[in-house]
Amino acid sequence: MTGLAILVALSPLTGPIAALAGARARLAGTAQAVGAAIAFGCSLALLALLDGGKPLAGWDGFLYVDSLGGFFLMTVAAVTLLAAVGSVSYVAAQEDDGELSGFQVRLYFSFFGLFASLMLAALETGNLGLLFVLVEASTLASAALVGLEGRARSLEAAWKYIIISSLGVTIALVGTLFLFYSGSALHSVANHGSSNLGLTWPYLLAHAHALAPQSLRLAFLLAVVGYGTKVGLAPMHTWLPDAHAEAPSPASAMLSAALLNTGMYAIIRFLAIAHARLGSAYPRAVLLSFGFASIVIGALFMVRRSTAGGPGGRPPGVQSKRLFAYSSVEHMGIIAVALGFGGLLGLYGALLQTLNHALAKAVLFLSSGDVSLRYRTREASQVSGLLAAVPVTGGVLLLATFAVLGSPPFGLFLSELTIVRAGFASASPVFPLLLLALLGLAFVAFARTTAGMVTGSPPARLSSPYRGRAAVAVTAAPLILGLAALLVLGLWIPAGLNTILVRSAAVIG
Amino acid sequence: MQSLAATSAAGVLLDLSGVLILLLAFACLASKLFNRYVAYYGAQSVVLSFAAATVAVTFRSVELWILAVLTLAVKGIAIPLAARRLLVTRLALKRDAAMSTGLSTSLIAGGALTAFAYLVTRPALLPHGTVAAAVVPLSTAVILLGCLSMVVRRHTVAQLIGWLIVENGVFLGAITLVATFPFIVEAGIFLDIVAGVLIMVVFVSGLTRQLAEASAGELRELHG
Repeated sequence: MTGLAILVALSPLTGPIAALAGARARLAGTAQAVGAAIAFGCSLALLALLDGGKPLAGWDGFLYVDSLGGFFLMTVAAVTLLAAVGSVSYVAAQEDDGELSGFQVRLYFSFFGLFASLMLAALETGNLGLLFVLVEASTLASAALVGLEGRARSLEAAWKYIIISSLGVTIALVGTLFLFYSGSALHSVANHGSSNLGLTWPYLLAHAHALAPQSLRLAFLLAVVGYGTKVGLAPMHTWLPDAHAEAPSPASAMLSAALLNTGMYAIIRFLAIAHARLGSAYPRAVLLSFGFASIVIGALFMVRRSTAGGPGGRPPGVQSKRLFAYSSVEHMGIIAVALGFGGLLGLYGALLQTLNHALAKAVLFLSSGDVSLRYRTREASQVSGLLAAVPVTGGVLLLATFAVLGSPPFGLFLSELTIVRAGFASASPVFPLLLLALLGLAFVAFARTTAGMVTGSPPARLSSPYRGRAAVAVTAAPLILGLAALLVLGLWIPAGLNTILVRSAAVIG
Repeated sequence: MQSLAATSAAGVLLDLSGVLILLLAFACLASKLFNRYVAYYGAQSVVLSFAAATVAVTFRSVELWILAVLTLAVKGIAIPLAARRLLVTRLALKRDAAMSTGLSTSLIAGGALTAFAYLVTRPALLPHGTVAAAVVPLSTAVILLGCLSMVVRRHTVAQLIGWLIVENGVFLGAITLVATFPFIVEAGIFLDIVAGVLIMVVFVSGLTRQLAEASAGELRELHG
């Protein structure tokens, strides 16, 4: 089992190895996709082996995978697989076009694999200090992806991303320090030889009653602010739209669907400890404040973006990826709110929402990548008639839009319904009602833009950016797979997944 | 975990280093020359490595000795040298004009932040009479001052130095608050900082090549 866990974290490195050996986009991309597929398979096997409920632990607590960690591993590995397959055709088309040099292609796959591998490793450690180190390292790796295209805009976005995220994660480190400090009574009593243990999550959770509440409060708040910067919780979200808009589309998918979830995972680990010691009132207040702030900011910016003075309902100058990025801010807010509601229902909803949102956002960003290659623009207002010109991508974009906005029969409908129910069950009814109103607002704003892209008549000449039918099929495969998974999750939750979700919710408290 | 008493010799030395580190952060905030930013940061890191060595002697900790030497070599010497060679000299940076407030305003704000740091970290949080109770407010103030100089300064190089000052503040807090923080984690943090500086230097050079002046204040294309 330990070997399996190591394999999950290391197998995405096939891409970097191929790239460093000098492979071109197609070969390096294929290697990356194979590595990601191995990682995904191993994460599924790991989940199946964890079935007994006993977590996998080793190396002084540096390795720790329970069902919660396993669930996030599976989510991130699934996104990595979709994005890696999407990268094959996307980067190859850009290379053939001369948009990306051979050096940039090698850079892309080197950092793509490294980024995935660091995130997967972060989900496998029980040591909260190492978690910080890996999350910060994944920031650095992904900043290179954001600035890959080397234009002034993308370098600016990358700079903004790296400086804001690094500062944010440093604040999370201060939170980790205070968490360690809150357990200092513990160390002198138990007098363990190894200080590593004092920073290990299961140990801290088991001894939560002995932690000093004052510094634990501070630690939790700092962790939410710090890792919240990575998650994109408002008001720390300012790097997010720029980075998502400027990164190559498969990398945007990784940022939105994998990186944000990794940050949320870190917050959840702190939440579990805070919940065990401080009760539910304080963590709820913190999470609801940041969560609702994010939902409001996300929804309002989507409205502003989609109605910015465009005549005839066609908003000018909207980048579809920027819109998707604000939708990510909104969804991370929903997850934070669900964690704040708490209870089995709220936690279950939060985790299910995490998985659903990851799949939907990966599909949306990958399809927007296909659109930007075909139409040679990232502006949503210059795209029309997608459904007629490229039926597969157009259809997927339309359906994924409805999915991400939470309409049935897709998975997000189910998870958002669960979250609203949890809200009615636990907090005052004001919160779930407010949530519903904001969801409605986001629906209108978001659907306006994508509807304009999909309908209408296509421009006269559209040349395919791909060489050969195989590349077209490779582009379509992750879109259809992701959408199918979303549909399945909306209609039926497999018994195994249900068990994992319930068990993970029990881990959080 | 043992905690140093504020009146012991090591406690006094640590306290003194903390004050020096805070003063150097203020000096950086008050200066307008890129050369000075780098010099003050280097000096701050040297004092920090001295503080780490003091803790290492007290606790007879080999790991902390390694950290002190690493701090001196990397933060005190390598990063300032590299920043001066690769950024200040090569990009011919002299006076930093891209500030959103005047120097006096930012100094007053810095003073207010220092008072705030004492206000939040003093009561109830830290046991009275330990060196942590004296130094943690100082390190919190250094963190806030680093953040302030990142906010006030719009030049990318100045923001990079601001982030490094924040890191110094965190490190000072770490060695006084939790001297037994796991070494592997500390080493990993170090590695992150080095990699971060390298990548940031690449971005700064790239941005400078793209724009006549790499001022984040002029990076106006992306907003909202």
